[in-house]
Amino acid sequence: MRSRRDMGRSVALNYTDYYKVLQVPRDADQAAIRRAYRKLARKYHPDLNSDSDAEERFKELGEANEVLSDVEKREQYDRLGDRWREAEHEAPEESFEDFFTHEGSGQGSRVEFGEDLFESLFGARAPRADGPLRGRDSEALLDLSLEDALAGGRRRLTLDGREVSVNFPSRVRDGQLIRLAGKGGEGRAGGPPGDLFLRVALKPHPRFHRRGADDLDIELSITPSEAALGTTAAVETPTGTARVRVPAGSSSGKRLRLRGRGLPKRGGGSGDLHAIVKIAVPKELSDRERELYEQLAHVSSTESQEASP
Amino acid sequence: MSGDNRSGPADRDPSAEELVELTVVARQAGVKIVHVRRYLEFGLFEPHPDAATKTPRFDPGNAARVARAERLRRDLGLNYPGAVLVCELLDRISQLETRR
Repeated sequence: MRSRRDMGRSVALNYTDYYKVLQVPRDADQAAIRRAYRKLARKYHPDLNSDSDAEERFKELGEANEVLSDVEKREQYDRLGDRWREAEHEAPEESFEDFFTHEGSGQGSRVEFGEDLFESLFGARAPRADGPLRGRDSEALLDLSLEDALAGGRRRLTLDGREVSVNFPSRVRDGQLIRLAGKGGEGRAGGPPGDLFLRVALKPHPRFHRRGADDLDIELSITPSEAALGTTAAVETPTGTARVRVPAGSSSGKRLRLRGRGLPKRGGGSGDLHAIVKIAVPKELSDRERELYEQLAHVSSTESQEASP
Repeated sequence: MSGDNRSGPADRDPSAEELVELTVVARQAGVKIVHVRRYLEFGLFEPHPDAATKTPRFDPGNAARVARAERLRRDLGLNYPGAVLVCELLDRISQLETRR
């Protein structure tokens, strides 16, 4: 939040309305504040609420509760709250500055107001009495193309507002969890950080289609004469090109299996790639082609008449 | 922890060599061993059945579980069995969610 008036020096006004945070009126009694805090703490506890802003909200709740549940701190905060509103609306710059100078610890030391409201009011937080604790494990999706999932690589992810650089191994499966030790939530009071678990999510591929857990399908276009006479065709695989023998008399929809050219299997090894024959007829025929097709059509019809009298 | 990328499939059972003693679980959870013993008493986790040694050994993955129970206990004013119960219910919720 920024003051509507330019204060000359830029002071980031970051006043947090603790009453609003706890959703209680300004004249709420101590019991009502305790009740509100407990209820909201259960609602926004990051272990119970997977929303990305739960951690931040929970911290804010703790701060609000620490101030408002303590009669002395609450009084001090209430005085500041009033002054803050005055300052925002019409107080001249001097009185605003004076106020913070007085609130500061030493003579004339200017208190940075805004960075951390709690600290500027009450000084550094006391270390938690209940000791260190490991941070939360967090989970995020890692969207990978099929090629990247097979090759492995590096990604930069933004998680809860921080950037994390991630190396992922080769041959990861869809839905697989990759554990990144120590890249999860911050530990408390010197406790170790949690782990980050990335769940691999394979993006759909424009040409390779998944079949079952680890097989892939790809279309293989051949000409009518190749289909009739047989050929050896180049097939795209996730890791390069392979050659496949198309037997004579292959119709559209025939599946040609390339063993081990699919996706990694759970226990090791790989699934298969299926090249699915698709007969592609040229749209335009040259005169010579047309002539040959006509001959072919004639021969085919006479032969089928002979075959079925 | 140095933040190294120890990446690998996490959805598997640890082999016998990877099992650790309770003190290691406690250290990795950042929780005092006395508290970890309480969670063990209330059945938050169990020694690994494969460990045929005198001292019980544990899946190191339990550290995160202990830390979660401890966060819930401290933050919400629960007692040990309450925190264990919440963890079990959270497990059931995540099972139901993945089944969908």
